[in-house]
Amino acid sequence: MRRCAFACLLVCSVFAADNTTHADWPHYGGQRSAWRYSALDQINRSNVGRLQAVWAFQTGKVDGGFNATPLVVDGVMYVASSWNRIFAINAETGKEIWHYFYQNPREIGIIYSPWTRGVAVGAGRVFTGTLDNYVVALDQKTGRELWRVNVEDMRQCGCNITGAPLIVKDKVVVGVTGGDSAHRGYLTAFDVNTGRRVWRFWTIPGPGEKGHETWAGDSWKYGGGATWMTGSYDPELNLLYWGVGNAAADFYGEARKGTNLYTDSIIALDPDTGKLKWYYQEIPHDVWDFDAAFECVLLDAPVNGVERKLLLNVNKGGYTFVVDRTNGEFISAWPVAENINWIQGVDTKGNLVGRNEPPVGKTSLMCPSIGGGRQWNHGSYSPRTGWFYTTGIEWCQAVTVSPEDPKPGMNFFGAVFQLKPPLHGSAGGHLDAYDPVTGKKFWSYPSKYPLLASQLSTAGDLVFTGDPEGNFFALDARTGQKLWNFPTGSGHRGSPITYSVNGRQYVATPSGWGSALAGLMPQLWPETESFPPGSTLFVFALPAETR
Amino acid sequence: MIAVALLLAQTAAAPAAVARGEQIFAQNCSVGYCHGVAGAAGRGPRLRGRRFSKDYLYGVTRDGIPSSAMPAWKDRLQDEDIHAVVEYVASLATATDPPPPANPMPPGTGPAAVPNFMGPNAAARGHELFFDPARENCGVCHSVGGRGIAIGPGLAGGQEIMLSDKATHSRHVVTAKLKNGEEFPALPAERDENQVRLYDLTLAPPVLRTFARSEVVSLVPTSTWRHSDFVKDYSRSELDAIVVYLRWAATGK
Repeated sequence: MRRCAFACLLVCSVFAADNTTHADWPHYGGQRSAWRYSALDQINRSNVGRLQAVWAFQTGKVDGGFNATPLVVDGVMYVASSWNRIFAINAETGKEIWHYFYQNPREIGIIYSPWTRGVAVGAGRVFTGTLDNYVVALDQKTGRELWRVNVEDMRQCGCNITGAPLIVKDKVVVGVTGGDSAHRGYLTAFDVNTGRRVWRFWTIPGPGEKGHETWAGDSWKYGGGATWMTGSYDPELNLLYWGVGNAAADFYGEARKGTNLYTDSIIALDPDTGKLKWYYQEIPHDVWDFDAAFECVLLDAPVNGVERKLLLNVNKGGYTFVVDRTNGEFISAWPVAENINWIQGVDTKGNLVGRNEPPVGKTSLMCPSIGGGRQWNHGSYSPRTGWFYTTGIEWCQAVTVSPEDPKPGMNFFGAVFQLKPPLHGSAGGHLDAYDPVTGKKFWSYPSKYPLLASQLSTAGDLVFTGDPEGNFFALDARTGQKLWNFPTGSGHRGSPITYSVNGRQYVATPSGWGSALAGLMPQLWPETESFPPGSTLFVFALPAETR
Repeated sequence: MIAVALLLAQTAAAPAAVARGEQIFAQNCSVGYCHGVAGAAGRGPRLRGRRFSKDYLYGVTRDGIPSSAMPAWKDRLQDEDIHAVVEYVASLATATDPPPPANPMPPGTGPAAVPNFMGPNAAARGHELFFDPARENCGVCHSVGGRGIAIGPGLAGGQEIMLSDKATHSRHVVTAKLKNGEEFPALPAERDENQVRLYDLTLAPPVLRTFARSEVVSLVPTSTWRHSDFVKDYSRSELDAIVVYLRWAATGK
């Protein structure tokens, strides 16, 4: 323990400025290392019980839930809600400074809507992607639109933007959805000032490109590989990391024989050119819809006694992959869910062992379900404990696979499915503390329902998150013991943050039940059909006399 | 007698329509995060065990629900298939949970692929090239048949000869000069007393930029911009194929 604390101290002193947040929460993942960890400790284990709500903000649109991560820069909060409503709010008082309501077409008509996960702030601008597949830049001070550009006709690609953009130098990098549509994925970078497109990286190589041979026939044109979450950036290595989603058709793989690069892979790109530096494919030839699209956590830790620069990614199949972020070398893999039957395990070289592919034309039981052994909501890494905090879900599905021809831009699943209880234990979720390299579990917090909100960890040795019943709560980062709870009235699907203004620390969380997963849950838990929607931002702080 | 025969015909037809509707529903409506197997609920609402009028079901299936994820199916399914889906969903009103196991479709018997392009074979190649997602395609700037982004002028007739003409400049494009010294080829979009909105044609896709009026020094009605620079990814024969498609789209011939 003492040795661990010493190692952490060392890590902190070298990387503190880059990877932990302080007064601001400037990027989607806190910093671009995606730790979701704050060095603020005014609120801590000893006083968190006295945390009080200080203001709330209503976005006015509850459809699709409130899935965002608020950002805070210089005392101003920037947050996005469903239907691309963007707000700038005084982070101390909750008073609106400006709002921008993007005019979407009346019919979106694709399944990745109407939620959004947030904005990026930089270069004096606020950036967001829209439900109809545009990137928009607003003036940070006034909310006035400066430019907008179409990424691809959504009617043609069946894709749009629900993830938050990432700013790297003078570029804003934006992914797209479309992994369950007949579509070929990509990542695109635009000039922050003019909106001009600088580069595009196709997640499926075209004819003549290396990796194209991993797709049979024309399947590469419709093979998915969406980039629907937000990536990470290491300024020292000048590498941009992004997780790539599932191959399509999701469950029917006969028409796309091969490993299907770069689906279910971590890609490392040169952010100046969009050129591939290395990749690591977690799931070759995915026939389970198990994206590797979630957050890429950039952390440094000893492996066999040697300090390594690592990248940690939890995939939807319920496995965490850890690789060397300088070159993509496999380090370790470990599960976050108990009910996993699509593979028996991962060997010491990173190969999947005992693949269990759903047979075509039949119904089979696959675990976890399409909802994942973990959902997209992000884990958190605390350099103080050296632990990674993330959720797991126990559930399975009956999946019936059938051949399907691609229709460009249309749904392309190749199966229907229905949620089923797990093989072992009861359906539900848990939040756990892990050693990020070995996957050793230190504590587990059980939950009746899957936990579908992100985690926030702080130097106050606290872990914050919310549950589907509307509770927002704080756990002791070292024991998992619940220390504080606040009922917000609607379930949690967004990402809490912390920041400070004028010396006072605040914790903010979106509250608002909704999203694709919330819609699926009644299949296992019928009572969740009547869980109330909402879209409210709650902000908490200690009473003045406590500080 | 006639009425009885009609009634018999209707009741006899219903099971076939329900079965057809079940197949179509399974591949188009159950999928992914939408209505779930047999309408058991997903991202979309539960349909199983709920009562809807067939008129209502037909209306929302055909035309979609504005400001929601429910698309209009009139361009994706034949009318008779929409009616079949309506019959099937109406039949779920009295369904009890749990739903029956999914009925897998034997390989190769899915519903016919919905054609994206309904025109003659002669125009099919040009249509594919016009919207080719792997390059800077024409649909990035032009909308035809409800697809593509309507930035450039409509292509209802006549312009096709300009496509591959290296010398052509567009009468629509101006040169925008900004107070900060920047100059770029632009397509004016809109303006009011406070602001000017211009499509920046420096690179594809065009960016719609918004300026305060004071930021724009001038809009000069000439430009060195050439349409040929934007179609350089297409060969001469490909451009000819696109001309065939556009002629068909404009005239039906």
